Amino acid sequence: MNISRRRFAHIAGTMAVTQLPVRGAAAPLTAQAIADRMQSALGGDWPATGPDGFKAGDPATPVKGLATTAMATMDVLKQAAQTGSNFIVTYEPTFFGRQEGPPAVAADDPVFVAKKEFIEKNGLVVFRLHDHWQSRKESDMTTGLAEALGWSKYRVKPDDVIYSIQPATAEDLVAVIRSKLKLRGGLRAVGDRKTTVRRVMLYPGVMTPALMWQRYSETDLMVTGEVREWENTHYAADIFTAGEKRALVTIGRVASEDPGMRACAGWLNALVTEVQTQWISAGDLYWRAV
Amino acid sequence: MTAQEVVDLIKKNVGVPWNEQSYRDTFKMGDPDATVKGIATTMMVTFDMLKRANQAGLNMVIAHEDTFWNDRDDIKDLTSNPLYLLKTEYVKKNGIIIWRIHDHMHAMHPDFTVVGSLRSVGIKGGEDAVMRPRIYTIPETTLGEFAAQVKLLTGARGSRCVGNPKSKVSKILLGPGYATPRMTVEADVVIGGEQQEADGSFDNVEYVADAASLGMAKGLIMLGHVISEQPGMEDLAKWMRTFIKDIPIQFVPAEEPFWT
Repeated sequence: MNISRRRFAHIAGTMAVTQLPVRGAAAPLTAQAIADRMQSALGGDWPATGPDGFKAGDPATPVKGLATTAMATMDVLKQAAQTGSNFIVTYEPTFFGRQEGPPAVAADDPVFVAKKEFIEKNGLVVFRLHDHWQSRKESDMTTGLAEALGWSKYRVKPDDVIYSIQPATAEDLVAVIRSKLKLRGGLRAVGDRKTTVRRVMLYPGVMTPALMWQRYSETDLMVTGEVREWENTHYAADIFTAGEKRALVTIGRVASEDPGMRACAGWLNALVTEVQTQWISAGDLYWRAV
Repeated sequence: MTAQEVVDLIKKNVGVPWNEQSYRDTFKMGDPDATVKGIATTMMVTFDMLKRANQAGLNMVIAHEDTFWNDRDDIKDLTSNPLYLLKTEYVKKNGIIIWRIHDHMHAMHPDFTVVGSLRSVGIKGGEDAVMRPRIYTIPETTLGEFAAQVKLLTGARGSRCVGNPKSKVSKILLGPGYATPRMTVEADVVIGGEQQEADGSFDNVEYVADAASLGMAKGLIMLGHVISEQPGMEDLAKWMRTFIKDIPIQFVPAEEPFWT
């Protein structure tokens, strides 16, 4: 049945008085219903105080389309609104910090207010999916990054993060990574640029010092999102001074998480068949001065 | 003069009460009673800088940051780590003493890390700067031109920028190291060293990217931690020479670790 927008408004207006006759027509798929489906598929606890859950918009909103992204930036939200995705699933925060919105920013902060208004005006709903997606046993954040780099088939063990790739120098691989992930200015490398790399560790997000200390020496190249400069960067620089031919590449936290959220779009397309899920790249937010 | 006597002179001259509870500002390696032949000030005790200090005959290193790749220089998980063993063996063999000054530098008036960082990016008037950031007004320019100038002056290969390069900017807020200030309504540009990219107490990267997307003239320049705090260690060396006159004191920079 093809109902014009005006005609629909008329019917809807009438329905408010007479009650909606539900006959065969499916109830609208709300953001809440999709969230329920995600929660039940992923399992685990979903405490109200945890990072995962609704961050903006009305959960009762009927969903026209879904979008996944590493971070719901303004650019991502604009693209979602333009392409008919009104439910956005984001891996990182929307309102500038772990404490989304106030107190991360003041309630009258102009960027916060404008972003919130954009979301409301366009009827968007934003849901954060971080911990439950990261801890999924399929480890899509890693496999997603490997796929984006064209290295899926090089995984050494199915439950590990080491990839045995075609040998290439660290600096050539940096060029490949930059081009495949469409990076701009966020990539930084430490260590031996001329070393021949065979074994790569892929670790999207944040790499801890403990992991670096344990595993750097089994790899020729580590690729991660971000580390702290006085920790893993310092360690990689010192190992280089000590004569070990290895390198550490940080590509930016969000850029490293982007491909894993593309994998999340694939998962959602299988889970929610009523509407389309698209992936919107948050991209590399940095540029380099010239 | 012993290393302990050097430290005692610093404590006497620092101008703020010494906090004995600081886990940072302590000896990290070496014998405090060993005789000091020369002092090297540096941003971070990299293996590379240790070698250059040793070759220059400077057996006491005074650093702002860590030696063993974590803030507390906690070595409990490192005692069988080959790099730890190599680095500590080098320090022992060459009789090097390592002492850190971090917390008290940030409590000092002025804070040399901020003074040095402001000077290094070409901002004038920061000679009395302290850790609490304040806005410096520069002649209006574009974010892209300003970032290019900052890169040229600091030589920071790994510096990273966020925002619209065409934005007109003049109000600059700077905090070195991990003390990158949060963007404010008043500031146009925040210059920092390093900060967690997302999911922190305040995410500058997303905030500035969103402000730019909304058409606001905001920019972020992340210099790198070493690059942003290092100039202050030269100021520290100069300051120490005012009360330690009979031992050579040199600034031995830690190299910027990054290539791109």
